[in-house]
Amino acid sequence: MNEAAPTPEAAVVAERLTKRYGSLTAIEDLSFSVAPGEIVGFLGPNGAGKSTTMRILSGTMSGTSGRAAIWGVSVALDPSGAKHHMAYMPENNPLPEDLRVEEYLTLRARLKDVDPKRVGERVDKVMEDCDLTRRAAGRLIGQLSKGFRQRVGIADALLAEPKVVILDEPTIGLDPHQILGIRDLIRSLRGKMAVLISSHILHEVEQVCDKVVIINRGRLVAQGRTEDLRRELLPGCSFTIVSRATQAALQAACAGMDPAAVVSLTASIEGQNTYRVSLPAGSAAREVLAGGLIAAGIPLREIAEEKFGLEDIFLAATRRTPGENRRP
Amino acid sequence: MRHFRTLLAHELRSALLSWNTWAAAGLFLALMGGIHFFALLESSRVAGDRTPNEISLWFFWLPLLCVLPLLTMRSFAEERRSGTLSALLTTPASTAAVVWAKFLSSWIIWVVFWLLFTLFPLLTQQRLGTPGDARLSDPAALWGGLCFIAVSGLMHVAIGILCSCVTRSAALAALLAFISLLALTAAGGALDSLPIESWEWLGWLTEPAAHLRTFAHLQDFTSGIVDSRPLVLYGTGTLLCLGLAILAVEGQE
Repeated sequence: MNEAAPTPEAAVVAERLTKRYGSLTAIEDLSFSVAPGEIVGFLGPNGAGKSTTMRILSGTMSGTSGRAAIWGVSVALDPSGAKHHMAYMPENNPLPEDLRVEEYLTLRARLKDVDPKRVGERVDKVMEDCDLTRRAAGRLIGQLSKGFRQRVGIADALLAEPKVVILDEPTIGLDPHQILGIRDLIRSLRGKMAVLISSHILHEVEQVCDKVVIINRGRLVAQGRTEDLRRELLPGCSFTIVSRATQAALQAACAGMDPAAVVSLTASIEGQNTYRVSLPAGSAAREVLAGGLIAAGIPLREIAEEKFGLEDIFLAATRRTPGENRRP
Repeated sequence: MRHFRTLLAHELRSALLSWNTWAAAGLFLALMGGIHFFALLESSRVAGDRTPNEISLWFFWLPLLCVLPLLTMRSFAEERRSGTLSALLTTPASTAAVVWAKFLSSWIIWVVFWLLFTLFPLLTQQRLGTPGDARLSDPAALWGGLCFIAVSGLMHVAIGILCSCVTRSAALAALLAFISLLALTAAGGALDSLPIESWEWLGWLTEPAAHLRTFAHLQDFTSGIVDSRPLVLYGTGTLLCLGLAILAVEGQE
């Protein structure tokens, strides 16, 4: 579908998007983009404005101001054109209960302008890709488990081979096996479609996404590759040390290498103390900490550098939200 | 247009598989069967100007108020409640195509109900009538009345669809449709019963009130009189209601 459309620089563009409900501002001046073939995680706490943004991008809601474009087509000026390039799976994935999976997907394919000669082929393909063929194809949607319903939603999103797929909480309510399956499915889309995916499961997002966009209270607080954000938001480093040494002795040994080092006791079990040693950004002690502690006579049982995950990045980013008192 | 055809086929299929449609059909046939039975009894007891079909069709307001809201109430309200309307609108299908498809499918079912009603006079004629005497089937009044119901049904169904667009509750949509259709059907008669001409400041209402006489329109159709004014009224009313329905659906956020 839309094979002739030239490839734009960005598959999804949100430019100073703002949505207000009376005096309540849901999102404000939100700007980000998703490149073609890129998988982007869209993160934020509950009520941050993720679903509102996704609904504006999908054309099911209009923004108060700003510009949203899908594959170079303005969502506000040409909603039908934008919808031709995009598929959107809303949160909770509403589906008609009284249709069979195959019937539903066939209807959706026709509405999404899939070539009539290819409707059957496309329906079979997405059902196969989403593992629906054997266990769900002929069943009523109302009788399906949550996991299969989510698969139907994703199959629907992939039906017309859109350039952009927007998935709002696609793994919500799924068990770990199902999450794994959906993660692999989304990963397989890399390079073929631009995917904007919102999720509360940060580990999932980290595993699947090339880039993350973090919003809080309707405002953009961070965007970029996880590694870049880690450097930007969490410039220091921390070590976990298990030792019989006292906190004072360890603090003295660390201060000898970097006076800004901070030692805190996190646990103490049967004489073995667990410490957290935090070093500032660019500290030279990072490379020589283990050797320095041994040289200072600190008995080391265990030493490991803590890896900051997306969760730490998310917490750091959402703590620095501008305009905290913006909402009534 | 392609989307409209797809949506119309889907709506008709869904309606045929819905218990709601069959319950409405049962209620309709029970109502009209009972009315026709009593119309036959009445005609056999008292010699009058009106044939059984004319009497039966005069009661068209009863299924209009009791059955039509059942047909239209779920069209948008149920989809809004379940969220499937939002999902439908993420496809390239336009809001207008969705509204027109739901409208036309409800109208087709409404007309089919009334076509089923024709079985009563036809069976009566076959069982009880005498050859050459068509008073029991009275085809002129029957088909004229059905034309009126089909034409006025356009606006009546459009009102039901509009009512379903403005709420998430199917029950509330049915209630709104009932009140609106009752007001519309009774408006002409109510205005007729008021001495409008004697109230100078309400004099301007005389002309519009004349156009709202639903039962006069029915009388015209059953008598074979085709007046363009009711056609314009029901046509413009239909377009107005559907236009408002499209705006209501597009305005939902």
